[in-house]
Amino acid sequence: MKQKALLYVLMVLILLTVISAVISNLKIGNATDIIMILAALKFLVVAFYFMELRDAHIFWKLLLIGCLTIFTGLTIII
Amino acid sequence: MTTISKKHASKSILYPPGGILMWIIIYLELITFGGVLIAMVLFSKDEPEVFQQSRLLLNTSFGTINTLLLLVSGYFMALTVSTLKAQKIQKSKLYLKLTMLGGFLFLGVKTIEYMDKIDLGLTMGYNTFFSFYWMLTLFHVIHVLVGLVILASVLRTLVKSPEKLILEDVEASATFWHMCDLIWLLLFPLIYLVF
Repeated sequence: MKQKALLYVLMVLILLTVISAVISNLKIGNATDIIMILAALKFLVVAFYFMELRDAHIFWKLLLIGCLTIFTGLTIII
Repeated sequence: MTTISKKHASKSILYPPGGILMWIIIYLELITFGGVLIAMVLFSKDEPEVFQQSRLLLNTSFGTINTLLLLVSGYFMALTVSTLKAQKIQKSKLYLKLTMLGGFLFLGVKTIEYMDKIDLGLTMGYNTFFSFYWMLTLFHVIHVLVGLVILASVLRTLVKSPEKLILEDVEASATFWHMCDLIWLLLFPLIYLVF
């Protein structure tokens, strides 16, 4: 992956982290859901771009997405 | 000219980036941490006030700074692998050192945070929230320490005899380091932000 593209990925990750921190300080009803969805998004960005999972066999992609969906879903539902 | 060798082609189900063994470890780690985090959420339903009050005793800035440090460190790790693939040894050495610097800074911030909590008496036995806090974050710190040892070993080979370095080994080390990122990305919101 090109270095410039990796830099854009990092900037997106930083932005999502700052947004999560700001949302946690706001008194809004769905804050937990939004924060967990943003965390899941960051997780996928790191896995697919930094860990190069996007170049892997679809089995590994689906397995990770499945695990993450179960985890995020459970934390939101509970 | 020194060249870094590569053994396997990617896109095969048997050779995910970093190697199949590393990905099995990653899934086992994610199941372990995920299970404990879900248990933490379940316990918080029994003691919502304890978890809410305890969460407010944590410094969100420490957690946010540490998240940013690990993300930047992960970025440099990705650059290390990318430059190694392009046979740019000198650049990859620099990026690997910056990756490790991010890890050391993470541990530094964590140490300050731990000292602060110990001074306030917020140790493992203080309440249920802090039991989970110490257990999860210390277990993660151990992973970061192991990751730094692995990266130090890669750096040593890269400096002393780069021709002996195998790209798959570096990719496996990078995958382990990114795993520390992934785990932290799950810990950070649930410990510092949600309750």
